[in-house]
Amino acid sequence: MVLTPPEETTTRPAASWCDAAPVNDADAGLPDWYLELRSAAWARYNALPVPTRTNQQWRFADLKHLRIDNHALPAPVSASVAADLVARAVSERPAEFAAHFVFANNRLLHAETPALPEGATCLPIEDALATRPDLLRAHFLKHGDFLGGEKFAALHAAATLSGLFVHFPKGRVAEAPVIVHHFIGGEGVAIFPHTLVVAEDHASVSVIDLFESINGKEDTLVVGMADLHADRGGRIQYTSLQDLNDKGAKHVQLQHTRAGRDAAVKVGYLNLGAEWVRNESINRMVESGADCQIFSANLANDVQEYDQRTLQSHEAQHTTSDLFFKNALYDRARTIFSGLIQVQPGSHHTDSYQTCRNLLGSDEAEANSMPGLEIDADQVKCSHGSTSGTISDEEIFYLRARGIPADEARKIISLGFLNESIEKLDGESVKEMLFARIARKFAAIG
Amino acid sequence: MSQSLRIENLHASVDGHEILKGLTLEVPKGQVHAIMGPNGSGKSTLSKVIAGHEDYTVTEGSVFLDDINLLDLEIDERSRAGFFLAFQYPHEIPGVSNANFIRAARQARLPKGQEIDAVAFYREMYAKMDELGMDRKFTARSVNEGFSGGEKKRNEILQMMMLEPKYAILDETDSGLDIDALKIVAQGVNAMRSPERGFLVITHYQRLLDYIVPDVVHVLHDGRIIHTGGKELAYELEEKGYDWIINEPVAA
Amino acid sequence: MPDSATLEAVNIDQDEGNFSYPEDYAHDAGYGLTEKTIDYISDIKGEAEWIREFRKRALKVFNDKPMPTHWASKDLENIVFENIRYYLSKGQRPTRSWDEVPDDVKATFERLGIPEKERKFLAGVEAQFDSEAAYSNVKEELTKEGVIFVNSTEGLREHPEVFRPWFGKVIPTGDNKFSALNSAVFSGGSFIYVPPGVKVKHPLQAYFRINAENFGQFERTLIIVDEGAEVTYMEGCTAPKFETATLHSAVVELVAMKDAKIQYITVQNWSNNVFNLVTKRGLAHENAEIRWIDCNIGSRLTMKYPGVIMKGRKARGEVISIALANDGQHQDTGAKMIHAADETTSNIVAKSISVGSGRSTYRGQVHIPKHLKGCKNNTECDALLINASSRTDTYPAITVRGNQHATQHEASVSQVSEEQIFYMKQRGLSEGEAMSLSVNGFVNDLVREFPMEYSVELKRLIDMEMEGSVG
Repeated sequence: MVLTPPEETTTRPAASWCDAAPVNDADAGLPDWYLELRSAAWARYNALPVPTRTNQQWRFADLKHLRIDNHALPAPVSASVAADLVARAVSERPAEFAAHFVFANNRLLHAETPALPEGATCLPIEDALATRPDLLRAHFLKHGDFLGGEKFAALHAAATLSGLFVHFPKGRVAEAPVIVHHFIGGEGVAIFPHTLVVAEDHASVSVIDLFESINGKEDTLVVGMADLHADRGGRIQYTSLQDLNDKGAKHVQLQHTRAGRDAAVKVGYLNLGAEWVRNESINRMVESGADCQIFSANLANDVQEYDQRTLQSHEAQHTTSDLFFKNALYDRARTIFSGLIQVQPGSHHTDSYQTCRNLLGSDEAEANSMPGLEIDADQVKCSHGSTSGTISDEEIFYLRARGIPADEARKIISLGFLNESIEKLDGESVKEMLFARIARKFAAIG
Repeated sequence: MSQSLRIENLHASVDGHEILKGLTLEVPKGQVHAIMGPNGSGKSTLSKVIAGHEDYTVTEGSVFLDDINLLDLEIDERSRAGFFLAFQYPHEIPGVSNANFIRAARQARLPKGQEIDAVAFYREMYAKMDELGMDRKFTARSVNEGFSGGEKKRNEILQMMMLEPKYAILDETDSGLDIDALKIVAQGVNAMRSPERGFLVITHYQRLLDYIVPDVVHVLHDGRIIHTGGKELAYELEEKGYDWIINEPVAA
Repeated sequence: MPDSATLEAVNIDQDEGNFSYPEDYAHDAGYGLTEKTIDYISDIKGEAEWIREFRKRALKVFNDKPMPTHWASKDLENIVFENIRYYLSKGQRPTRSWDEVPDDVKATFERLGIPEKERKFLAGVEAQFDSEAAYSNVKEELTKEGVIFVNSTEGLREHPEVFRPWFGKVIPTGDNKFSALNSAVFSGGSFIYVPPGVKVKHPLQAYFRINAENFGQFERTLIIVDEGAEVTYMEGCTAPKFETATLHSAVVELVAMKDAKIQYITVQNWSNNVFNLVTKRGLAHENAEIRWIDCNIGSRLTMKYPGVIMKGRKARGEVISIALANDGQHQDTGAKMIHAADETTSNIVAKSISVGSGRSTYRGQVHIPKHLKGCKNNTECDALLINASSRTDTYPAITVRGNQHATQHEASVSQVSEEQIFYMKQRGLSEGEAMSLSVNGFVNDLVREFPMEYSVELKRLIDMEMEGSVG
């Protein structure tokens, strides 16, 4: 594996992409097909309109967050900062892991692959382009369907070069997770991490992306994309842990799942930081027996806005899916959940469920739910539910009767409320890490 | 005119797999026959085939209810001809009250233009529910919805009592019943025994036959009746299992 | 599995209104919609100048607003506004006696059973034929108590002090393209006022009949129920089946003052060439209650989301909705609940049945803004699919601000399963009977919400035409 220490990369002056396409340092030597793909994406980005109020896919969203074209690509971090970040990432990771990669400002700082099964590949996208272009190309940036984030997707495609390509051939199984840190720092900068996970027949892998800020208060933008391909009997768990600074950071994460025959994919979102988050999660069950499960826990306070749009698309018979999202809201936080279950014509014998629960913890918090169903097949079992409410006095009373102070009781109940959806993910060490992060934020917001 | 439920050389398959492979059996009016057999011998297939379930294809043979060839009839016509199946897993019908359902089934048996006498209908149904120890509230509840296993089976017997079939198949009616429920169900069936009616009781366990004493016991294996005997055969099967019969050369 | 027999079996009696009489109109505004059309209508009605101005402003809004196809059905694009006639009447004045109603109009309503129902259980009836009411009568004792029950023209002319303050206030002209259209060309409908404390025991009924082809009916209804008063209003509608599209676009505004109760019941059975695009909304003051009971069986495309704005403390809103979408039909229905005061509660129960290639859509909006206390919403919507080609969609949107509220939304989609039909057939029911029983079972709890006389009719409508359809 070729690793380039940040000190040796040549830096370009950061420029806003109002004027020119965002380009990366290592453009030289990139395959032609990729460069073409990128320039097409750039043209698409410029051609696409900024979403407006009448766009249903942005209903309830505060469109002021969409003004992003004043951002520019970041300079690399200094050697000392890099060392600090690696040390921080290493200290945070679970004891057991199959691979650990650390990126900062679009560049790789650290890579370790202690427990990858033989034949499995974990390569930074940039390296994969150079060394495994055919393997990468089969799945890389293939999607055209999004849930409103087309313009962000085009920008991502025009600019991405960091992030990890995870390829598990037939039958390869990793028990421990692949951990990927993405750090961002610098006023007005943007990064475009890409995660591509391919699990061939009966392969199994778990990948966690962690998004974190280097500095506490900065206007930054992350436009990430995750593509998950599970072939026959393949299993993928993908988790996005977003803990960026809540003063100025924006995060757009666009994720696609393609689950083949008897494949099982779990997707988890944990949102704690950032000022504005847009998650788009498209989950397609394209062959019979496919199963997708999507979970989310979001703890929003202050003026944070978490906007999540999901699609469970059943495109074959005997497919199943479940979605379970939880929002705990404080202060003037806003959440938007828009989920659609689509059962395509002919996708008979489908079971599909969707639940969104909101726990409102202040008089000014706002939760918007749009759970949707579009059913066009026979012998389908489908339901969705959405509730919004607050912690009942009886619950608080019960805990107080056990000697727990009211504030603490409230915290315990809220924590349990969010943990419920994390609990559904696989991997004890992954869950431990997520639980700890939630607890940390609860402690911080008092 | 023959007075029996007569199954002759019945072959039936599901998804191309033959399950019944030449089953022959006759239940004369006035008698109770039992069919026992190991799992997968085709017991439940038999009841569904006779009822006319569309998943099963009859490839050969016939089923006569007295002089009517049931296989020529639609599912509901078979029922109205006098055939009743007490299901092993009775289906739930959301929103449709038990009383309305049974009433509709009774109405379907009347000539066009003739209406059920509602007062008499309820009087009769309440009397039969009392016999089965069923609470009156079951008339207003949706058919089988939220019923316990025992309540569902009782409800099957109630329907049988209300529809007064000529022949009835009880498909593993004893499964999932505690002994008290079993006694009540058996009581209901016994009350209906008459020279005008035949029963075929499909069961896995001899226990039921202590309460519904059969005239004849058949052993079903691999889609055929391989042994027939009196009620004592059930005890023998309970004690010795099926292997001694299965391994016996099939009678020519 | 559900075969053609089932399809036929579930087919409801959409033909009961399928007859028409030859056209013979004294007033015809002609095809298309311009300011001239409005002047024509205003002149005939002898309207006050402010109404003419109101109409003209609305026409401008209508022309400026795009079709809402960014979220709604593209089928809307098939409405050709130039091919529609916006006002047709025989020049009749609504009479208080059926004997004075023109023969063919009278025959129409007799055939639909309206005079008979009036004798049996109604407190008042208004029967509209195309653009104008032909008959309007209310029991004398109600008139004595001060109840007003007239059409829109008369309401605005004779009782402006009662109706003008609320006219267009619950549903502003620009609410949507079709409320603007109605505001431009409205004619007919019911204007009702119930004085404080008067509880109208028997329902008031309006019956809307379209007789002519290439016609648009735009009735306008405004019901004001004063403090502590109560009323139940029912509307029914039919039209003959024509090859070309017919348009029905009503605006219905309800105002329930403090402690008042309004129950508004609709049984919509338009023929399935009718575009039925209706805006309905109620304003509930303190401790008032507004219930919409809405049943949609007919039409080609219905778009209707009855709403309640709960403006006063402890106001209550409810929508009970049944939709049946058969081949070629799209029932796009739902509810809007706007909580605008403390301790307001709303309830939505919607059930839809999609048969054959029919499509049913639920759209809901529940809005609880900030700084309110103790608001509650409960929403249940259940869809039943009968055939493999049937389709259903559910699109609710729920906004809750603050930590002193509780909302709950549940939706499910289910099917009449093959095993359920097998079970019922084994008991001797035909496939049609089994399907009928299952479908009625699905909507039974909602049908009970309709007044007796209506629930019987509704059951009959939803019920299957068994005769001769299933062997």
